[in-house]
Amino acid sequence: MNEPGAIPAAAPLLSVRGLCKHFPVLSRGFRRPSSEWVKAVDNVNFDIAQGETLGLVGESGCGKTTTARCALRAIDPTAGEVFFRLPDGRVVDLARLSAGELKPVRRHVQMIFQDPVSSLNPRMTVRDIVGEPLVIHGLARGDELETRVAEVLARVGLKPEHRTRYPHAFSGGQRQRIGIARAIIMRPSLIVCDEATSALDVSVQAQVLDLLKELQREFRLTYLFVAHNLDVVRNFCDRVAVMRKGRIVELAPTPQIFAAPQHAYTRILLSAVPSPDPDVKMNFNVGEELAKLDAAE
Amino acid sequence: MKVPFPLLEVEELRVSFFTPDLVVPAVEGVTFSIARGQTLALVGESGSGKSVTAYSILRLIQPPGRMTGGRILLRSARVGDIDIAKLEDDSDRLFEVRGGLISMIFQEPMTALSPVHTIGSQIAEAILLHRPIGKTVARELTLEMLDKVGIAPATRCYEQYPHELSGGMRQRVVIAMALVCRPELLIADEPTTALDVTIQAQILGLIKTLQREIGCSVLLITHDFGVVAQMADEVAVMQRGKIVERGEVRAVLKNPQHAYTRALLDALSSRRHPA
Repeated sequence: MNEPGAIPAAAPLLSVRGLCKHFPVLSRGFRRPSSEWVKAVDNVNFDIAQGETLGLVGESGCGKTTTARCALRAIDPTAGEVFFRLPDGRVVDLARLSAGELKPVRRHVQMIFQDPVSSLNPRMTVRDIVGEPLVIHGLARGDELETRVAEVLARVGLKPEHRTRYPHAFSGGQRQRIGIARAIIMRPSLIVCDEATSALDVSVQAQVLDLLKELQREFRLTYLFVAHNLDVVRNFCDRVAVMRKGRIVELAPTPQIFAAPQHAYTRILLSAVPSPDPDVKMNFNVGEELAKLDAAE
Repeated sequence: MKVPFPLLEVEELRVSFFTPDLVVPAVEGVTFSIARGQTLALVGESGSGKSVTAYSILRLIQPPGRMTGGRILLRSARVGDIDIAKLEDDSDRLFEVRGGLISMIFQEPMTALSPVHTIGSQIAEAILLHRPIGKTVARELTLEMLDKVGIAPATRCYEQYPHELSGGMRQRVVIAMALVCRPELLIADEPTTALDVTIQAQILGLIKTLQREIGCSVLLITHDFGVVAQMADEVAVMQRGKIVERGEVRAVLKNPQHAYTRALLDALSSRRHPA
């Protein structure tokens, strides 16, 4: 249990076991029979402790987003278990709950999306967007709803008068703050951040990451942080899982991933990152190295 | 910043956007030059005016935007000195500059590719527009260029449509199209921002190799200081339509003089908490 990267000693908040998601490859023709399957997620295992941030990194198409979506049951996994510990201590398998059983659990698991434009309904005011989760779960209405929305907006650095405005009136960074407000208003224990800062400029990205860190301390949040930017992950995550072709190839504490990567793929991925230090030369040859890795498998 | 053998000299460039209510200045007196065979990186955040600067060089600013002043002097080895800012909108010279002497690649390759023409016909078109050669030769040159940008087999790709290719492959096609007429200057506007790091590394490597082979200069627009450090000889940092700092890459990155450059570098998380 003390091995780095292994299951955290305390009972984990989220425990994913043997998670698989296979998509059918449809053939041509009227009935489109499928004879082949794409293994988008292929036997993935990981745990996240309460208050921890686990980074899930990899290239596009490696299955990191599909893994995150299966973990919070936004889509149904093909196989595997997703054990989630509720605030009252009960452990449920998100993968097996029925729709009715799932709804009360959902308030504890929230998501922040990559695209600050498409993830906010342009026809809804900020008040309606941020307050909607409370309405759906019947947790607040009237004055109480109004107060809680104002509180949470203030907490993410927006002004009370922003409530009546529409998403188009905000910058990318501010929109992402609206998305964060919508997630934390439910006081969830787990938040899945799917490329939450990828669309932002570096200085805005740094501000949003700082906000997420503060909120984590304040509300004891646990993050599953899906990203392709290794620079962001390095600073933000406690442990990192590197995914490739639907599998986790390496899972270790962040300093170890960056200082002493074990898997050849992790090493290639790290070498491809352009360093802002002109004396640290990046590897332009990753194409050939990846091809060699493929051939060796 | 005067460079010894400049290919491009931009002086006091000004671009504004005119709306019925107000005038929004996007570029406010930008001056820089690019030496032959060298790479200048123009770096800044969204809205800093770096793309507008690049678009002005090819006179691609559309109304309500307008260039309100400045000189864009291209010291072409092939046709001599041209002030691009003074060219008529529909002049043959401007047509020759665009795609012939100066090419551009964009962040999103589909902006430059037609979805309804084959890859091959689009690259061959670029050659036929600028060089007095026949279709057979154009086809051969196209296949040779596709091979150079690492697309194999080139004959298959020639007949394919853009939607059949991945983002990285499309960017290779766009690079082939941009460099097939051997321009003297390549403007690359965030060419790898939409790509994964491993693909980015390959595309950046490709740009470097072909730049050496053709001997062109590169104006690289980016917001990523990592890309600047690895690709450029000189860097100019833009903020709110002005260049706030410029100089040799190593000097600027190792010892930034302007507060804004320092702030941008400090925002990189690898610098915030060095491992």
